[in-house]
Amino acid sequence: MELAYYPGCSLKSSSEIYDVQCKRVLSAIGINLHELDDWNCCGATSASKVDDFIAVAMPARNLGIADASEYTELVIPCSACYSRMLVAQKILEFDRSLLDEINAELSNKVIGRTKILSILEAIQPVVSSADFVKRVTRKLEGLKPACYYGCMQTRFSYGVPVLDDVENPQGMETILESLGATPLDWSYKTDCCGASAAVNENDTSILLMSKIMKDAIARQANCFVTTCPMCQLNLDAYQEKVRAKYGIAQSMPVYFITELVGVAVGLPLEDLGLDRHFVDAMELLKELNINE
Amino acid sequence: MTAVLEFTPDQATSLVGEVMARSGQNLNACYQCRRCASGCPVGEETGYLTPDRLIRMIVLGKREAALDNPLVWKCVSCFTCGTRCPNDIMTSRIVDTLKKMAKEAHVPPSSPKVAAFHDSFVAASKRLGRLNELEFMGRYLLKTTLGGLVKLKFREVIEEHKSQAGLGVTMLRKGRMHFRIQKIKGKQEFRRLIKKGRERAMGLSKSPASQE
Repeated sequence: MELAYYPGCSLKSSSEIYDVQCKRVLSAIGINLHELDDWNCCGATSASKVDDFIAVAMPARNLGIADASEYTELVIPCSACYSRMLVAQKILEFDRSLLDEINAELSNKVIGRTKILSILEAIQPVVSSADFVKRVTRKLEGLKPACYYGCMQTRFSYGVPVLDDVENPQGMETILESLGATPLDWSYKTDCCGASAAVNENDTSILLMSKIMKDAIARQANCFVTTCPMCQLNLDAYQEKVRAKYGIAQSMPVYFITELVGVAVGLPLEDLGLDRHFVDAMELLKELNINE
Repeated sequence: MTAVLEFTPDQATSLVGEVMARSGQNLNACYQCRRCASGCPVGEETGYLTPDRLIRMIVLGKREAALDNPLVWKCVSCFTCGTRCPNDIMTSRIVDTLKKMAKEAHVPPSSPKVAAFHDSFVAASKRLGRLNELEFMGRYLLKTTLGGLVKLKFREVIEEHKSQAGLGVTMLRKGRMHFRIQKIKGKQEFRRLIKKGRERAMGLSKSPASQE
């Protein structure tokens, strides 16, 4: 399968491991990614708080590039980018005058023909296909993940059709179950980690993360799995602080979904960037003997 | 939030009209069921000023209170209120509208660091077309600590730098920080878009939200 690919700024800096994993893992399971030519920042949630026009115009330039490409589907692993691009596409579908105004400045016009996929929508059909089992060389037995979706996989600021359950999504669970893991039912899977509040309202974010951690531990999870680079970085980089402030004894590695798919299909752990986590992400796999 | 809100018809009509037009949200549809309130993750942090109360404040025409309150800046944009609202009112879009209205009215943000964060993010991503985290954090630290320096609050300034630098050092050690500058080639086209945004903002005639 050939897909257009929008990495976004995070995946080119602090979450570069996610970019590397997306390319290596998806290609290992038969999906080739083609990075959009000269893409720009989507504006993330910040743009919509500062300027309504650029909040649509910035993603629109990328949508135009995608519409002009030879691919019909575009995968966007970062939740913020995914959300902003979907929302911009929706706004432009209904607001023709805004569309004309933006298109007047673009060399690649927005047509609206590109189908935007989340990382789960890209992976799921492959993993759930009948012959995929043969590719799994390391079964994720003993792994009890709390699948953490955060806000932007299922909730949007505009009426965008949502494919999974808004409050109790199952996309990650379905994938991980077919890899041999035992994902747990828990209450905080779509709660907010605070996102940028980790930087600008740290106490709020640490409080929100403490609730997420406590529930996951109470359900006896041994790791988090996420699709969002902000969720991953927050839960990983600030975990020590959360544990110290709220007296949480257990630490939990925070995996990207792509990482675990990569482990399951036998990719070398170092190639996936598992050694570049803040909370040790190799130890648990060793304990469970799924590193060999 | 114990004060009783009084109703002033003139102020109410102009405020609720402006917020509805700019946010694209029908505030009159709110019947105060408080489903948003029970799902709001920052309710405890805002002194229980929850989306329902913010909406009520606007409907009653309390302009000053609507532009200057903790929810406007502490909202984490999780969109829980909007997804659970039986009348599809997306309060996060009301909150984002109030942020912009507060800025236009020169009302200082109650959480200056939040405002500085978003302003720095947008400024940095507009400059090269892609966000460079180091440039962004540099701008943010400058913005947040300059005020403190002027007011001679050195301890606050030092604490802020220390807390952000601590994370920076760990990120560096884990190979999660990058110094390679990301920028786009289609700079001219990108700048035309940004310029158009600026011209529209000066006109303030219509926002995409109101066109929905």
